[in-house]
Amino acid sequence: MHHEFEYIAPRSRTELLATLKKFGSRAKLLAGGTDLLVDIRVGHSVPEAVIDVKYIDEYCKIRWSAEEGLSIGATVTCVDLMGDKTVRAKFALLAEAAGHIGSPQLRNRATIAGNLCTASPCADMGCSLLAYGASIELASEKKTRIIPLEQFFTGVKKTQRQPDEVVQRIIVPAAMAGARGAMEKLKRIKGHDLAVVSVAMVKTAKTLRVGIGSCAPTPIVLKELPASASVKAVVDEALRTVKPIDDIRASKEYRLAMVQSFVEKLMATLK
Amino acid sequence: MQMHRIKVKINGKQYEREVPGHRSLLHFIRQDIGLTGTKEGCGAGECGACTVLVNGKTINSCLALAVEFDGAEIETVEGEAKNGNLSKLQEAFHRNHAVQCGFCTPGMLMSVKSLLKVHPKPTEEQIKEAIEGNFCRCTGYRQIIEAVQDATGQLKKKEELKRVS
Repeated sequence: MHHEFEYIAPRSRTELLATLKKFGSRAKLLAGGTDLLVDIRVGHSVPEAVIDVKYIDEYCKIRWSAEEGLSIGATVTCVDLMGDKTVRAKFALLAEAAGHIGSPQLRNRATIAGNLCTASPCADMGCSLLAYGASIELASEKKTRIIPLEQFFTGVKKTQRQPDEVVQRIIVPAAMAGARGAMEKLKRIKGHDLAVVSVAMVKTAKTLRVGIGSCAPTPIVLKELPASASVKAVVDEALRTVKPIDDIRASKEYRLAMVQSFVEKLMATLK
Repeated sequence: MQMHRIKVKINGKQYEREVPGHRSLLHFIRQDIGLTGTKEGCGAGECGACTVLVNGKTINSCLALAVEFDGAEIETVEGEAKNGNLSKLQEAFHRNHAVQCGFCTPGMLMSVKSLLKVHPKPTEEQIKEAIEGNFCRCTGYRQIIEAVQDATGQLKKKEELKRVS
């Protein structure tokens, strides 16, 4: 690292929230570091302090309860999620999505919450968690709030998180447990790469939810459709909702074509 | 700049050093400890040249702060050869021409070592997945895959090239 900063590792939630209040936007939160330390290295981020959240015990847990659903703590890594028995049994698509992130080295460090906080339009956990109707819990010294994930993302690499707030956990509703899910991710190479287009679909007995990545300034979710929706209805809704652009990885037209192709493929998979 | 005292075990040997918070694990290993086998390629988690094992798991040491690893056990390429003898895996890399310029090799060996702990007889697909975060720009992937198959007793005898008349 070329830029110098203080490293602070609070040992409790109280200490963490107080440190965050003190530094505010002069500090950056560190979990897996796989996005943050790149940003610091290239000069996109020049924090005075880096606050490590990995010593807060409650943040490293994956919990399941029939009332609340699945709770994924702030420092749960991709590999933690991929290996968790409850996740694999009840929310298999989340384990699959985590496996799409980066390389083995990155998945050993990168966290689910960090993937959401980076808020890249192509966030692999973004479209899958949106499809599951997840919410996110933020805390500051003043208050703790839970907001739907689609409200958390506000723009390219922008979120609702305030400088004195920390993401504590992600909550996936209990009603989605056991829902069938599938996703498609288009990459330029077979190895690790960012998504050119990604589509995640989750189907319960009554509803169909579709999350789409790399086709708008943030990962997006289509309005909830009935499980009985026709392929054409879902494709039409998807093409109405996405706002893809031309960029280094693909053209707008190619992205639109791939959204349609993936929606059709996933509808067949989840028939 | 505030300094942090950390103790780490690298290749079985205990080290204790003072580091500033912003010191990357890679620079700590290379510059503070002096083990320069681990390489810096892209510095951004793309190429895997800096791959080391921390508590048995591979990570990109360029994207990690040394201070995060107080008490950790780290393995690098220097832990492979013992008493001047290459490890079984290194020998297989050597024998199968899996090393060309050699820059990716230390990281490649660490990723393969981690794979073999979980899958002692990996399939070709498992080998490819295990090294997907390690770039080789001499494009010796074929030889690297064969080296891993050789090290695990799975290399089929190569077909003789047929003379085209």
